[in-house]
Amino acid sequence: MADEKQDLLQLYRFCFLMLADAVKAQEIFHATLREAAQLAADGEAPRDRLWLFRNARWRCLEAGEQGLQAEDTDLDQGELAEWGPSQIEKLEPEQFAIWIAAAPDPQRTALALFYLNEFSYRDLLSVTELKPPELSKLLGNGRREFQAWLDATFPVSQV
Amino acid sequence: MSAVQLSKRDKMLLHCAPIGDEQVDDRALRTAIHHARKTDAYELQQNFDKAATALVQAIPIPKEITEWVPTETFIAPPRATWKKYVQNPVFLATGIAAMVISVIVIFQLIDRLNRFPGETTALRLLTTASSNKSMMLDPVKTNAGALGDFFFMKHRLAHYDVPPEFEELKTLGVRVFEDEEGQRVAQIWVVEKKMQFFLFPAERDVKTGKAKEFSGWRHIEQEHWAGVVKEQGGVCFMAALRGTDRDLAPYVSNKKE
Repeated sequence: MADEKQDLLQLYRFCFLMLADAVKAQEIFHATLREAAQLAADGEAPRDRLWLFRNARWRCLEAGEQGLQAEDTDLDQGELAEWGPSQIEKLEPEQFAIWIAAAPDPQRTALALFYLNEFSYRDLLSVTELKPPELSKLLGNGRREFQAWLDATFPVSQV
Repeated sequence: MSAVQLSKRDKMLLHCAPIGDEQVDDRALRTAIHHARKTDAYELQQNFDKAATALVQAIPIPKEITEWVPTETFIAPPRATWKKYVQNPVFLATGIAAMVISVIVIFQLIDRLNRFPGETTALRLLTTASSNKSMMLDPVKTNAGALGDFFFMKHRLAHYDVPPEFEELKTLGVRVFEDEEGQRVAQIWVVEKKMQFFLFPAERDVKTGKAKEFSGWRHIEQEHWAGVVKEQGGVCFMAALRGTDRDLAPYVSNKKE
């Protein structure tokens, strides 16, 4: 069973992965916490422990609509390779965030939440509002697309 | 590549497999992980995800946030309500099991309370009653209450007395026989409702040899035959008939114990 406690800083990382923009991520992080505090002050504190992430998700998607939109196209996919972890180690966190933020939603949300390594399987289904086969397909495709992107960015000969 | 064959469902679930086992809160996913644990593909996926997760954890937190929210500030989960506990399958299953055990214990307790010394013999004699014919007995026509002296005088059976509740009933026949355990049993056939009486030695304490006493009437039933048993002076008396407890109820003055 997943630890019921969640590090609040993970909320910021989630916003950052969704937007790949530190300023916007910070704004949404603050706005989400302000709303939670306001509700608590009114005696209506959110009972759902995933409320902060649900709320931040919709704010991020709303903020994302104002900028460039991710195209819902089929990206190249590659089979996961043994050298994949070495390729990932060469990345900067910002590069990974850019890659995730460029994915169409709900794949974007699924990948951002999954790689926070904060949520259980059921939590993921709950926040993404996806069915198990949908979540599976998005995560599976996401990995292969990421591998293909890694192979293009860091060709095997360089690893 | 490992030769493990994974089902379509397992493969589907494995795409969602978290990095740590502690995040697995679904039985089907846990099973799928168990099946795939030794496969190369799963190991590859886990290593890939670990590297990506490490990268996410390296996302720098702006100073404004770390100043405002100290590290390791946790979102407290809401307190579980009693309704949540009740809905939890583990608590539900435990509750049902405890209830079933309680019912069984209560039934056994009631059964134990109804038991009495000599019950085994009484039940065996109930079987005898159901298979006997009146012709097997020596014809004796008198009041049942008068047979106490008869048993003592003729068979040297002391205290083989019919209780007052049944002593007025007219008899058809009598016999004395030894049961499987060599105990001497007196059997009386009466006219009313083709009832049969049995008088037999009460169960004795193995150590002291004293008769195990019990008070009042005890009821037994077996294969459409009913009996009421009473102990007095080291001898048990049983009235038996084909029927139920209710058919014997009018005869016994004491209430069921």
